[in-house]
Amino acid sequence: MSDLKKLYEAVVSGDAKATQALTQQALAEGVDPLKLVNEQMVPAMDEVGRRFEANEYFVPELLISARAMKAALELIRPILTARGDKPVGRVAIGTVKGDLHDIGKNLVASLLEGGGFEVIDLGVNVPPEKFIASINEKQANIIAMSALLTTTMPAMKTTIDALKQAGVRSKVKVLIGGAPITQKYADEIGADGYSENAVGAVALAKRAVA
Amino acid sequence: MTSRERVLAHLEGRPVDQLPLMPITMMFACLQIGARYRDYCTDYRVLVEGQIRTAEKFGFDYVNTMSDPAREAADCGASVEYFDNQPVAIVENQALLADKTKLASLKIPDPLGGGRMHNGIQALALFQERVGKDKLIEGWIEGPIAEAADLRGINTLMMDFFDDPAFVRDLFAFVIELELRFAREQINAGADVIGLGDAAASLVGPQIYEEFVWPYEKKLVDGIHAMGGKVRLHICGNTRRILPGLGKLGCSIVDLDSMAPISEARQQMTPGQVLLGNLNPVAVLRNGDPAAVTAAIAQCHRDAGAPFIVGAGCEVPRDTPPDNLRALCAYAHTHQP
Repeated sequence: MSDLKKLYEAVVSGDAKATQALTQQALAEGVDPLKLVNEQMVPAMDEVGRRFEANEYFVPELLISARAMKAALELIRPILTARGDKPVGRVAIGTVKGDLHDIGKNLVASLLEGGGFEVIDLGVNVPPEKFIASINEKQANIIAMSALLTTTMPAMKTTIDALKQAGVRSKVKVLIGGAPITQKYADEIGADGYSENAVGAVALAKRAVA
Repeated sequence: MTSRERVLAHLEGRPVDQLPLMPITMMFACLQIGARYRDYCTDYRVLVEGQIRTAEKFGFDYVNTMSDPAREAADCGASVEYFDNQPVAIVENQALLADKTKLASLKIPDPLGGGRMHNGIQALALFQERVGKDKLIEGWIEGPIAEAADLRGINTLMMDFFDDPAFVRDLFAFVIELELRFAREQINAGADVIGLGDAAASLVGPQIYEEFVWPYEKKLVDGIHAMGGKVRLHICGNTRRILPGLGKLGCSIVDLDSMAPISEARQQMTPGQVLLGNLNPVAVLRNGDPAAVTAAIAQCHRDAGAPFIVGAGCEVPRDTPPDNLRALCAYAHTHQP
């Protein structure tokens, strides 16, 4: 019988091979995949997030833990989808048009996935139309936007205006973040939430779908 | 005392008449001459005009060639994107060294080969001609982890520290050779100081910084010193956990972003280390008012003690109200170290 705690440890330590092997073994033994997600992987990514906030983990450690978690999710997700299990929420995340920076966005995406969300990663330089398409075609209920430059952050307002124009603004919560972003700016442009860090973004997303 | 004399005297521990003033401007400088940022990045004459106009208008003690982090990478053959009104950016999903094996055959480009590095060197020569007697002239190179991230892709490099540390060292060694060649030609063209930007160093913890990054930053600093140059180190972001390492590099200037308390830098570095900084460029310099700027830089000065140079934490944002920047500059002009 698998020691499921080893799966938690493999994710926290960023061991993708071990995570994959342990997940395969657990699934073969008939362990409920949702139990693996809720009892091992989500707490593991919560711990990774805690260590990141406490300056015990940094970007490299967070990325390898996220990679380990994704290795497990690749095995688990098809089973959950076939079963009709729904994620906590569906987040379309991207760096706004004109901005190519994505490390912050990637950290948030990883932690959201670890938090049980389905993440639609739109990448960088994302025009408003792509955010709108993620709502209409993929039923995203959260739009998460990132910008690193003061010169690209206006694209967040442009995107929110485009959501209104397209008649989809009320279908989603809009969350924003990035180095030049502030709560004041979020309030000014009509965003639903702002987080100054990646861990806070997950908490914000959970409140948004509650 | 000329601006150049002021900075050099301060770096050498000699008395000066007022605090030196060296904020980083890029898009803000371009705005002063109403040019497109694309042209500021690609035409050295536009960059020089923007820097000189800004330095004269606000009373800076220096001019510099920093426009974006992609000069060296572009000359190596990396895929970069040009924008009309923001910095040149690396296209990460087409990273030059997405395939690690390509490093073995990657040639170091000639800094005088007509590419973007050459453009930067031409800027220095023109600065020397126009303001060399008055202003300190600062060139720029990328540091080992920053340039490695530009060539490999930053997301991939971050995992390489665990997946393939030997490759990371090989890549850093390539970068050092590239950057020392670039630095040499900049010094030959008239740069008094070489700015060393290693932004990605603030993303790794102290362990990875000390094991991988610091040794190569040290090679760069020592190499530039051996050429007769001085180094201004600037790492964007939160460097609080790596302050001791920054202090041991022996740079003439350690330029801190706002997240690193300058008081801690003073405690953790040698007493004579020149510190530069470091109010919050967005929350205070851009979004605040002149009184808030004055209060913030006064606090930085108190926290840093001497020796200290006034700076903006990081790049002065493009749409910073001019009166806010004037307040920053006025503090330098009216205070002694």
